[in-house]
Amino acid sequence: MLFRLLRKSLRGRKGRIALTTLAVAVAASAVSVLLNVTLDIGEKVGRELRAYGANIIVSPKQDALEVEIGGLRYAAAAKAAYLNESDLPKLKTIFWAHNIVAFAPFLSGTVEIGNRPVLLVGTWFDREIPLPGGIRKFRFGTGNVREVKSEETRFRTGIKAVAPWWQLQGRWIANPTGEALVGSALARRLQVNPGDLLPMKVGGLQQSMRIAGIVRTGGAEEDQVIVELAAAQTLLGLPGKVDRVQVSALVKPDDALALRGKRNPQGLPPEEFERWYCSPYIDPILFQIEEALPAARAKALRQVAEAEGAFVRRMNLTMLLVTGLAMVMTGFGVAATMTTTVLERRSEIGLMKALGADRSQIARQFILEASLCGIAGGIIGAAAGAWLSRLIGTQVFQVPINPTLITLPFTLALAMAVALLGAAAPAAQAARLDPVHTLRETL
Amino acid sequence: MESPTVRMEDVSKTYPGPVVALDRLNIEIAEGEWVAIMGPSGSGKSTLLNLLGCLDRPTSGRIEIDGVHVTPLGEKQLTTLRREKVGLIFQQFHLVPYLSALENVMLAQYFHSMADETEACRALEEVGLEDRLDHLPSQLSGGEQQRVCIARALINSPKILLADEPTGNLDEGNEQIVLDIFQRLHTEGHTIIMVTHDSNVGTLADRIVLLEHGRLVTSQVPTRDPFTAPVQPGVPLTPS
Repeated sequence: MLFRLLRKSLRGRKGRIALTTLAVAVAASAVSVLLNVTLDIGEKVGRELRAYGANIIVSPKQDALEVEIGGLRYAAAAKAAYLNESDLPKLKTIFWAHNIVAFAPFLSGTVEIGNRPVLLVGTWFDREIPLPGGIRKFRFGTGNVREVKSEETRFRTGIKAVAPWWQLQGRWIANPTGEALVGSALARRLQVNPGDLLPMKVGGLQQSMRIAGIVRTGGAEEDQVIVELAAAQTLLGLPGKVDRVQVSALVKPDDALALRGKRNPQGLPPEEFERWYCSPYIDPILFQIEEALPAARAKALRQVAEAEGAFVRRMNLTMLLVTGLAMVMTGFGVAATMTTTVLERRSEIGLMKALGADRSQIARQFILEASLCGIAGGIIGAAAGAWLSRLIGTQVFQVPINPTLITLPFTLALAMAVALLGAAAPAAQAARLDPVHTLRETL
Repeated sequence: MESPTVRMEDVSKTYPGPVVALDRLNIEIAEGEWVAIMGPSGSGKSTLLNLLGCLDRPTSGRIEIDGVHVTPLGEKQLTTLRREKVGLIFQQFHLVPYLSALENVMLAQYFHSMADETEACRALEEVGLEDRLDHLPSQLSGGEQQRVCIARALINSPKILLADEPTGNLDEGNEQIVLDIFQRLHTEGHTIIMVTHDSNVGTLADRIVLLEHGRLVTSQVPTRDPFTAPVQPGVPLTPS
């Protein structure tokens, strides 16, 4: 009988029920968008931010104080240390290998052009490297062994991936041994253009390279000559060597655990250390890079990493606030609609009480109505939220967000909570109505 | 002597103001008795009915319904007592507009215990509405709506039937049909307490209780026209 009563009661008030359901759907869609975006966009935003450059610098471990000014390393030649180019694929074998989205090695040395020293930098422009496949096992002090399966067998990387904002007049290098890019400031000074020959003196020997393009980067590269890494290694007499690697890694903002690990990760209790190691904060990634390349020192570009973390945090906070606001407003909306319903149905409620309905039986009807609105609104909202998430993904972040089913129970639960909280006061009000007064009012 | 179904001792009801709606009322109503409550507007008839229907509590005095002392009961217990012992019939019918005749009867069953469609059908058959089961109140005449209301009041086999001007909104033809039903119910042994302004309706009762300013003026066996017959104060307040 209760459901018959409910069905007929709802059928008679389609407009108001539709309005309540719509209000709940709005809140549910906000929740759905928040969850879908938060779950999926962290990485998407991270990738987007990665387009603004590397956030990790890997350099050789050495005792001598090294100073870098304008991209030029100042270290005693005898003490200069290098990394082996052949070790670089190991960067993609760390626990968080998946989060290493790009890297580019560099080897720099001074050459003479027109009797003036100029920095020659060799790098990978667009290189595909083979990766060691299989399953990597990580053993922890807790006794746990975590396995990471490598899904990639090849990895395409280089400066085009690390610094996609580079603007080129001319073209990229087609002949790795005979062509070079020239920074725009240097090209202006030397008055050279793409296609010109660039004479340079390297170690007392005269060499010439054809200028493939003039590059604008907004950085120190505008004063440099940039060549393929192999060419630089040959010219500088350092085969197979690199002096630094820029790494672009996806990281999550630091939290309390990250801050504890920052001070002394090895000092963390084993369980915490494992959790820290298996979280993609910047520090565990640096730690893991140094594990993979024992001769290297990994350093975070803190400002970049922190700015990214702050951005993601602010974005999440904003979405949380908007969602909270939507839920509160919806709660008021449901309450207002339900209160109006109670007022409209006073005589009916009075009659039911006169017939012997107790408070709980009266309240139950309103709660059930609200629950139905909550479920319907939740489902509609989840569907709308999934669609909106995709739209936000493509319109705002230029990447599609894939809504996940995990968000559905949370969305439904929150929609239900909003509907029930909104209906609680009107339901209590209905349950308290005095049948004598309400029946007399309709006489 | 068998204990009465309804016993009121020194019952008063005062509303803020103060307005004295009932003033030290003493009434006893025996099982199977049909009592008509009459009196001018504001005499306390509806207040009396609300108290007997457990919809309200007296300010002072003692009310017993079927042996249960009602006055000290809380809201929940009053609700239980109402659904178990009382059947209510209203002048305005008070049917739920979006439920059919059958569902309106079943609603009272649902609040009492469990809805039983067959039983509800039978109750409507007894008031001559077997062909109106699925009609909405708006599709029924006033007399038919009142008969649904009677079926609803009877469905849980209450100890007392409380009717507030049950024929007040009906035309002559429908009034007669409804009164015939009440007479049949009376013959079957139902205890009926009916508020009415209509002296002709009052004459059908076993006894007329006349109220004025919340006080009992008289309680007497009706004559053909009780208002033209001289009122005899001091008539014993026992059932005839």
